Amino acid sequence: MNGADSLDWNGVLHNRPSRMPDRFFKYWILVPAVFLLLLIGLFPLIYSLLVSFQQITMTDYDTSFVGFVNYAALFEDLRLWQSILHTLIITAIALPVELLLGLAMAQLFLEKIPGRQIFISLIVLPTVISPIVAGATWRLLFDQSYGPVNQIIGWFTGTNVVLLWTITPKLVYPAIIICEIWQWTPFMFLILLAALSNVDKSLTEAAELDGAGFWRTFFKIVLPAIWPVMAIAILIRGVDLVRTFDVIWALTSGGPGTMTETISIYTYVQGFRQFESSYTAAIAFLIVALMTMIVTWAIRRMGLAQ
Amino acid sequence: MDLLKRLAWTAAAAFLAAGTASAAWAESAADRAVKEAQKYKGQTITIVWEAGLQSLDPLNFSGPLWEKLTGIKIKVVEVQTAEMFTKIMQEYRAGTGAYDALNVIPAWMPDLAGAGALEVLDPYVAKYGYADELQKIAATYRDNQMMVDGKIYGFPDDGDVFVMYYRKDIFADPKVQEAFKAKAGRELTVPKTWKEFGETGKALSDILGPDRYGAGFFRQPPYTMYMFQERFRNEGGKFFDAASMKAAINSDVGVKVLTEMRAENKFMPPGVEQWGFVENLAAFMSGQTAMTISWPPYGRWAAGYGMDEKALSWVPKSTIAGKVGYAMPPGGHPELAAGFALSVASTSKNKDAAYLFIQWLNSEDISLQRVKLPTALRDPFRESHFTDAGYLALWPDAKDYLAALQAGSKTGLLDLSLLQTDKYEEVLRQSISKLWAGDDPKTILDAAAAEWDAITKKIGVDKQKAVYANWASKSGAYPQ
Repeated sequence: MNGADSLDWNGVLHNRPSRMPDRFFKYWILVPAVFLLLLIGLFPLIYSLLVSFQQITMTDYDTSFVGFVNYAALFEDLRLWQSILHTLIITAIALPVELLLGLAMAQLFLEKIPGRQIFISLIVLPTVISPIVAGATWRLLFDQSYGPVNQIIGWFTGTNVVLLWTITPKLVYPAIIICEIWQWTPFMFLILLAALSNVDKSLTEAAELDGAGFWRTFFKIVLPAIWPVMAIAILIRGVDLVRTFDVIWALTSGGPGTMTETISIYTYVQGFRQFESSYTAAIAFLIVALMTMIVTWAIRRMGLAQ
Repeated sequence: MDLLKRLAWTAAAAFLAAGTASAAWAESAADRAVKEAQKYKGQTITIVWEAGLQSLDPLNFSGPLWEKLTGIKIKVVEVQTAEMFTKIMQEYRAGTGAYDALNVIPAWMPDLAGAGALEVLDPYVAKYGYADELQKIAATYRDNQMMVDGKIYGFPDDGDVFVMYYRKDIFADPKVQEAFKAKAGRELTVPKTWKEFGETGKALSDILGPDRYGAGFFRQPPYTMYMFQERFRNEGGKFFDAASMKAAINSDVGVKVLTEMRAENKFMPPGVEQWGFVENLAAFMSGQTAMTISWPPYGRWAAGYGMDEKALSWVPKSTIAGKVGYAMPPGGHPELAAGFALSVASTSKNKDAAYLFIQWLNSEDISLQRVKLPTALRDPFRESHFTDAGYLALWPDAKDYLAALQAGSKTGLLDLSLLQTDKYEEVLRQSISKLWAGDDPKTILDAAAAEWDAITKKIGVDKQKAVYANWASKSGAYPQ
């Protein structure tokens, strides 16, 4: 009796034609899950694409198709390109600093020091805080009336200092970047600590015996060993920084003016403050296109695809 | 004879009907709402309310009381002010019917009514006999914050108005008066113009300093945006040229206002640019500043009213109770900043019950109790609130406080209310933040005017012009 045979109520064997060959069955059972994933993942994407060609705003009933009008408007929208520039500035500064600090700290904690586990747990704490809470906390820390930052600076300078961290153009970027670094350096630290812990000690010891100094050992042995993990960490944080919203929203709301408005903040303002649904969809697709290009380039450049 | 009998019966019936009707109208709007609402016993009304202190009213007072009287449950959806418009519109667009009644900032009404999100209330007002009590709402709120295109979309329910609070003990101190006269060459009086305010604030900072200051304001852009609107119009500015609908905020008046605002920061406490509602309150309550401008709750809290309530434990303790004077802000036409109106959602499945709830809330009897709640933030908005014996006795200076609110209700200025108002307001908020960052006022306002023009163009010049004309025709749009 094979899979295509069956017994009737009287126990008589019948030869039943197979409705699906066994080799396709495994694919059929995947169909519901794939369908669900497509529904959740692909439908919003396609719907957003559709919306980006319409003229939908939440306060107007006109939903007519306008072709590429929204995409054409992107190129004339100076505020959009400025927001992209602001995003890149923050990413270009915060990412290397977080990487270097995280690496330095990881190197430090490779050594067996007393209370190592407790210190690691404490260092990682900022990462588990919600970014909006971190931003609000730093806003308080930077406050002129109640915040300790200016007080501490005042102790060093011996005078009352007035530094409006969230208002003065020269200080807003440092404020944002300090907050970002404070919160996300521990993420880099944790990943790089794991990577460094897995470097084959016999190789570094052999290099030392051969007379190689710390930097030579680091660049020739340690860095190549941890590079795949480090590249992933850079990629994750890079993408995170491009998406950054909460911290800046809590600290400056994108101000003064639009000086610290990032692409995420601008998209939020367009979508949920100004209710320009179709234009926001077009911005979203611009971001998807830009991010896809950057990430693909980065993956190739970092050799992660090999 | 038959005809005579019939006429007699008809007359008697008419007399009886009239008598019954007059008896029916003799009951208060609150009682009528309760009686009618009992038909909907067992239902639940969902109402959107501003999160925080505001919502303690329906959560702790009006909601439970309404349920006791009618058997209708009240579900309060607390939403942050900045998100309220979005939530209301999203639910309306999605057609969920999730909300029955709404708290709406009057400046949003043209957008919400235009989109169809709000139920027209005129038929309900007639059906449930609310017209008379509605008329007793203070004129500024009633005439300006209730209607769009001649239809009622909401009941003004919050007498938000900017009031100037000053330390009357400092203004009455002979030593300060003498020092002020020596400095300013005139008697120390509560400033009535912004020029006087600048002089007085600076002189008081010099006299009271170094730790006490002549004045302090909330300077964060969302608050200052309202102060700009107020000052700009008090100084004679117009938002738009009515004929062309071109933005006119970059006029000399606008530049003067921004320039003076920034100059005033110099005699205010360091870092005042970062101050929001709480920081400004804390400074005034601790005695750090001698003058400030804010919404009505400052006046109640400064007098110590309700300060033993747990919900107000975050409010700094007042060190100035009994020392606070109340006046109109310089210029004499205070901003009716924000405020709330009660509306019914057009997608509600319980419109009558929702309407009856807001009529009851807004009625003479119940609203008087609500504006006296120590924890809630609803401010007096009916003529009867300003003269209520119970309110007048709440603290020693309550009479002066209510007199200031009443004066504000007569001369107050409406927030700008157009199609997509928030876009225009956002430009103002950004302009304020640029001002604090040190940009040139003229450059800031030229850029703002250009952005306003672009917004108007996108919405449609003629469409927006009609809405502006309607708004500008209201008694509270510009100083009369």
